[in-house]
Amino acid sequence: MSLFQKTIRELHQMLVDNEISSVELTESVLDQIAAVGEKTKAYLVVTRELALRQAKAADERLRAKRDVKPLTGIPIALKDVLCVRDVVSTAGSKILKGFSPPYSATVVERLEAEGAVFLGKTNCDEFAMGSSNENSGYRPVHNPWALDRVPGGSSGGSAAAVASGEAIGALGSDTGGSIRQPAALTGIVGFKPTYGRVSRYGLIAFASSLDQIGPMTRDVADSAVLLQAIAGHDPRDSTSSPRPVPDYLSTLRDGVKGMRLGVPKEYFVAGMEPAVEQAVRDAIRLLEQQGASIEEVSLPHSDVALPAYYIIAPAEASSNLARYDGVRYGYQAEGAKNLIEEYMLTRQQGFGPEVKRRIVLGTYALSSGYYDAYYLQAQKVRTLIIDDFRRAFEKVDALLGATSPTVAFPLGAKTQDPVAMYLNDIITIPANLGNVCGISVPCGLADGLPIGLQVIAPGFREEIALQVAYAFEAATDLRKLQSPLMRAAAA
Amino acid sequence: MPEPESELSSREVEHVARLARLGITPEEVVRYRDQLRHILTAIDALKRADTSRVPATAHPLEERNVMREDKPEPSLPAEDVLKNAPSREGPYFKVKAIQE
Repeated sequence: MSLFQKTIRELHQMLVDNEISSVELTESVLDQIAAVGEKTKAYLVVTRELALRQAKAADERLRAKRDVKPLTGIPIALKDVLCVRDVVSTAGSKILKGFSPPYSATVVERLEAEGAVFLGKTNCDEFAMGSSNENSGYRPVHNPWALDRVPGGSSGGSAAAVASGEAIGALGSDTGGSIRQPAALTGIVGFKPTYGRVSRYGLIAFASSLDQIGPMTRDVADSAVLLQAIAGHDPRDSTSSPRPVPDYLSTLRDGVKGMRLGVPKEYFVAGMEPAVEQAVRDAIRLLEQQGASIEEVSLPHSDVALPAYYIIAPAEASSNLARYDGVRYGYQAEGAKNLIEEYMLTRQQGFGPEVKRRIVLGTYALSSGYYDAYYLQAQKVRTLIIDDFRRAFEKVDALLGATSPTVAFPLGAKTQDPVAMYLNDIITIPANLGNVCGISVPCGLADGLPIGLQVIAPGFREEIALQVAYAFEAATDLRKLQSPLMRAAAA
Repeated sequence: MPEPESELSSREVEHVARLARLGITPEEVVRYRDQLRHILTAIDALKRADTSRVPATAHPLEERNVMREDKPEPSLPAEDVLKNAPSREGPYFKVKAIQE
């Protein structure tokens, strides 16, 4: 087995035992990027020199046994929405082409402090708006399980990198499912923490009341390790929570015996592929065999979560994206006669079609005469969704369902129909609106394409989501599943 | 208040794009109008929810006013902040005339 196929935990042990160096490990991953990068198109920028420099520094730390952390020397990929000082960061958008941030995101600084190695910036849908990665301003990402299929989105580059051996772990961001859905479609573990658990400082904003950064990894234990490194209060983000961060590894293996797990009947939506439903129902049965009690619950407002999201997220985006005006950074159109025309041309030429669609939709929903009917109504529906979760969690410890109603679909299959594309996120969106946390863990294959089980836990109870996901993973041999691209390159 | 189900018009798309300072071609106006009509039809399901006694949630935070001590801290150096500017003049961002 090549080094790039292993997990963070396995590699940490090998680094600590001096079996391998971080430089060797980093070179193994960089070689895999060179071998398959043009197939997946997972990265927008590979920071080879930075990675090798950080790997050397990590090796010194390991040699001296000084301040060695779980991520010291581990090669990690960063979604392009995360600012890294002096490394081009574009959020997958042409309007930020060449943008070199003057500071790093807090999560980036935390990983740096742990001694992690940065491989580069991963491709994503422009400003994280999309469920297939086809909205990247540069090029779509291809799924390592089937190159003619999408990897999901918007963190599709991070997902494809982890699934193809082009990174050991990665960070993504999730506004309506953008970590969990691509994780499900590429057979990896993706975790959206509770809003406020992880600092958003230095995250290029999409929808500020929903965005959250989280880990994308090969297994659940790695997810716990990566979350541990990035979670916690940050004085630079006043929306980050001062609640203490528990030790996620200490409860990881506690099992589900005696736990009450709820299955929301509304999550088996119309249009769900039979193979997905079957795999999820089998997974639920397996957790029951592990000692959990399973009960059906109802989240009655699930059907209005998607419409509420497609008002709230575009409304917040239309406001957040007002800053791209061609004055302080990024693209500036040529030939404008005055300032207003320069704004209009810069934004017309710099933004892609989906971003423009959402700016128009969001501005419309906030505009005079429509505010009450759309934006205010959506915010009230958000309250109903929060209440749905609160009531369900009075009865059960966690909720189970599919992550995505389908497996990875062919590139181009849904690009002409925005509404069909939006339906991909129908069972991930409620967790963002409801302020709870959700993890996707592989639960099977349908015709060689991965399926994800979603475990949703109450706000700030990330340890419960991890514990359930780990119990499921440990009871199967799915953890050993590898994409054809990873297997082929290692052979 | 106008009825939201009244179909989105080309003029409204142009108006909203103008509010958002987004240049838009006549072809885009028609395309976005049709796509947004389709999206708004799907979104109209929102009205099914009875929210007559429900307060709005603007953000999910437990914290309310987050205060810090009012003490000065160093800012980023001006050169770092200006290094990405498409047009600049000395230590300033340079913009076109607001009025001709």
